[in-house]
Amino acid sequence: MTDKQGVTDLAKPRPGIPKQTRSSLRRRVRSNLSAYGFLLPTMVLVATFFIASGVILVVLSFTDLSSSNFTRPWNFIGFDNFSRLFSDPFFPKILRNTAFYVFTTLIFFNLGLALVLALVTTTIPRRIGFFFRLVWLLPRLTPSVIYILMWKRIGSGDPYGIFNQIAPGFLGASGGNLFLGGSPWTFVILTNGFVGASFGMIIFTSALLSIPEDLITAAKVDGAGTWRIIKDIKLPLIKWPLLFIATYQTLSLLTSFEYILLLTEGGPGLFTTEVWALTAYKRAFSSYFGNSQWAFGATWAIVLVAVALLLAVVYVKIFKFNELIEEPRIENL
Amino acid sequence: MRVELDGLSKAWDGVVGADNITLDIADGDLVAFLGPSGCGKTTTLLMVAGIYKPTAGTISFDGVVVNEVAPKDRHVGMVFQSYALYPHMTVFGNISYPLRIQKVNKEEIRERVQKVADMMGIGHLLDRKIAQLSGGQQQRVSLGRALVKEPEVLLFDEPLSNLDARLRLTMRGEIKRIQEDLGITSIYVTHDQVEAMTMADKIAVMSEGVLQAYDLPEDLYDHPKTLFVAGFVGNPPMNFFDVEIMSSNGGFHAKSEAIDLALPDDRAQKAAVAKGNVVMGVRPEDVYLVDDTAPPSEGSTLSASIEVVEPLGREDLVGVTIGDVQLRVLVDKTKGARVGDNVELAFDLSKVQLFDPESEKSLLWK
Amino acid sequence: MTVSQAAPQSQAFKPKLMGGKKTGRRFAYAFLILSIVPILIGYTWLVIATLSTRTEGLLPRDAEGGIGGFTLRNWDFISDGAIWSAMFNSFLIAVAMVIGVGIASTSGGYALSRFKFPGRKAFLTGTLVLHAFKAEMLLIAIFFVLRWLGGIPLIGGYIGFNTVGGVALVMIALELPLGIWLMKGFFDALPWDMERAALIDGASRFRVWWQIMLPQVRPGIAALALFTFIAGWNAYLVPFTFTIGTKVTNMPVFLNQLISDTAPVNWNQVAAVGLFQMIPLIIFFLFTQELLLNIYAGGSKGT
Repeated sequence: MTDKQGVTDLAKPRPGIPKQTRSSLRRRVRSNLSAYGFLLPTMVLVATFFIASGVILVVLSFTDLSSSNFTRPWNFIGFDNFSRLFSDPFFPKILRNTAFYVFTTLIFFNLGLALVLALVTTTIPRRIGFFFRLVWLLPRLTPSVIYILMWKRIGSGDPYGIFNQIAPGFLGASGGNLFLGGSPWTFVILTNGFVGASFGMIIFTSALLSIPEDLITAAKVDGAGTWRIIKDIKLPLIKWPLLFIATYQTLSLLTSFEYILLLTEGGPGLFTTEVWALTAYKRAFSSYFGNSQWAFGATWAIVLVAVALLLAVVYVKIFKFNELIEEPRIENL
Repeated sequence: MRVELDGLSKAWDGVVGADNITLDIADGDLVAFLGPSGCGKTTTLLMVAGIYKPTAGTISFDGVVVNEVAPKDRHVGMVFQSYALYPHMTVFGNISYPLRIQKVNKEEIRERVQKVADMMGIGHLLDRKIAQLSGGQQQRVSLGRALVKEPEVLLFDEPLSNLDARLRLTMRGEIKRIQEDLGITSIYVTHDQVEAMTMADKIAVMSEGVLQAYDLPEDLYDHPKTLFVAGFVGNPPMNFFDVEIMSSNGGFHAKSEAIDLALPDDRAQKAAVAKGNVVMGVRPEDVYLVDDTAPPSEGSTLSASIEVVEPLGREDLVGVTIGDVQLRVLVDKTKGARVGDNVELAFDLSKVQLFDPESEKSLLWK
Repeated sequence: MTVSQAAPQSQAFKPKLMGGKKTGRRFAYAFLILSIVPILIGYTWLVIATLSTRTEGLLPRDAEGGIGGFTLRNWDFISDGAIWSAMFNSFLIAVAMVIGVGIASTSGGYALSRFKFPGRKAFLTGTLVLHAFKAEMLLIAIFFVLRWLGGIPLIGGYIGFNTVGGVALVMIALELPLGIWLMKGFFDALPWDMERAALIDGASRFRVWWQIMLPQVRPGIAALALFTFIAGWNAYLVPFTFTIGTKVTNMPVFLNQLISDTAPVNWNQVAAVGLFQMIPLIIFFLFTQELLLNIYAGGSKGT
């Protein structure tokens, strides 16, 4: 009885439609089951590796778990890790590094160069443009270890460094080790930027290629030059991809560290090129400090995750990604 | 199969696709849903197919409510404007697909597919890939696929819109012939009124989600019940002007600054109930250029000047002005209408339509 | 007549137009060529280094310091069992990822693209965010998840910490948001009428997905499989974090150990191992170019 009442209450039967509410609800559940059925593998993986991990990360940040005491029961220490984090003498430096790294790589490479590459390679003959885009894809396809190895050789000191050999004296290249001695940041940004640019390049290219040729022709007939066509026609028409890449790459840069880990490990010296994500990883996994401080690493990670998620929410709201979501045009009965 | 729609409505987040549609389709009839694009006709069709779920109202097949029945269990066949063929299958693969799902045995599938394909005149194309077919052939495959499972209701969603004009004419006849032969209840969505008029047993005219009229084709033309139907059905469209109905000298007159026409009593009396201002409608073919051969009856003529002449081949479509009123008139080519001419126009007032300007409903037909 | 009249005019008009275009073109090519120089230098060095005793800059040097010193000795590792074991592990990870990501994203992407269900918007936004968000931040916690998975009876030994299966599982999860987003894009591009037709023909949603939709998104599946394979083959951070010891090591980790564990580093041998590891990638690069560059074509729709 209660069950039945609950059902009718929920579904608010309309007068004139004979006893459909009950079966409608049952059907709604069943049809959603098929949707959830398709999502099952995804949901299992997401639940295990994202949701469970997220929860563990939060819990960990309130303990003092490390490789030296993990056999004992978890010891909760409240907000100690957080106060330790914010009072860390290198905290301001790491914060500055992260902001500098994300901003510079994003503006000059992942957004800027990506856009220029897409614009240039779509105005030259198709095959040639295709070739250059393909070459630009190489860094992304190359295993990170090998890719970083190449950059190390490019920037290393005499007699091995390629840059030293080709352009002695330039960029402070006077036999020294460029990526460690001269300008480590240049190399950190270059290595990440050369990989990052290709994603935006591909997205922008396909957006640019989908602009109707007639539009460009019309603008040319109206007397617009190359620059005006870019400014008045192309850029406004690829507004969404631009916003998308800006968002995407901000989050991506903020949370990735693999190339920096391989290139400088945050050095040379103390925290010179260390970014937040790398700190979290190193605290948790490298025994550089004598002991893998899992909990403290988790604290760094969870703060970054919180910042990134907050940013993501703001972005999603500002750019109204929700409105881009199309409603399905088949309904489940 | 008898199909009934009762108060059928569909809305998405407040946007109304179909609004309270009620109509009955008799067994074996072909009913056309006619209306401009975005009027809700396809939405209604997809609800009948079971693709969309009604927000309110019911759909019944032979008296059984099928609102909750999945499309696969509705015994309907559907032909789409885009053909919606499966490009990775051959013609045989496409037509046989519904049967293969039903696990009909191979022998029978072959037989039935061959039979349907022969009926569609594509029996020799069964091994072709879809991409190798012309548009007309693709639409035949699509029709064959809809027919092969021997549906009880056939649904057409603008099936001929993507074909060129000549092919459209042929297919129109063929679809009608097959539908009549098989006696399958059909709903035919189209924005082409000629298609609707020539093929349908009854036409449902829709606009902005609302069913404007549901009538026999000839009634839609001669007895339009709403202003919208009057203006939508017929090409070139009906002329409308605002007039006031007045009784004088024992008869009724439709008057405005420029117009003074004597209305036939039977029509005027019906309209006079509403009094005051009405919208008068006259079809372009019900107006003539006055010449010596047939003197018009009294009170049915007005002087006009010709503004535009569009030759249509057999006739000229002539745009004229009477004072500040503009109207379009179909004139025999031999009359030699020329821009700038001042002419005398005679109206066939026995065919005039009168509408309430507020409700936009006909004052003549209920 | 008209043609000859028009001709002089267009001739007078053309040179200026062409001139402007030419300068622009030249500038474009100069920019593009300059931009790829570092990439080309890197690869040139890699190839030269694998075939020489040692290199200074881009120059191969022999024992006396002159240019030369061609050798195949750097490739001796091919007879070493360790590299084949690492290669096999890399292959396992890559194939497991292709299958796992393939199944989860073709089904999940379809649901997100074509189904209306409570939570769809949240799911879609979530995928987009996770897709951008490098989940490497979660590795610390995933470490505990893996240790827990390792405790499951029977299968735990294959998917826990320090197993190839565990690494593959983590990689599948990390790659999944991208896969779902991509496949959703490809499904989005398919006409609704085809799916409606199949439903009316009597197919269930599962059958529609399997028999009608999947064959249409084959290019998407191929592109996804390719990218996933490459991601698995190149995987470094996850296996580096979650494996210890040579038995479960994969190629990139093996290579990095070669760099960090031996002193002095034999850079030329490292280069050779690196190039060896890149063989499948080079093959993909040469033969599946269209697929590689069109990977995001479906996924970028609507964004």
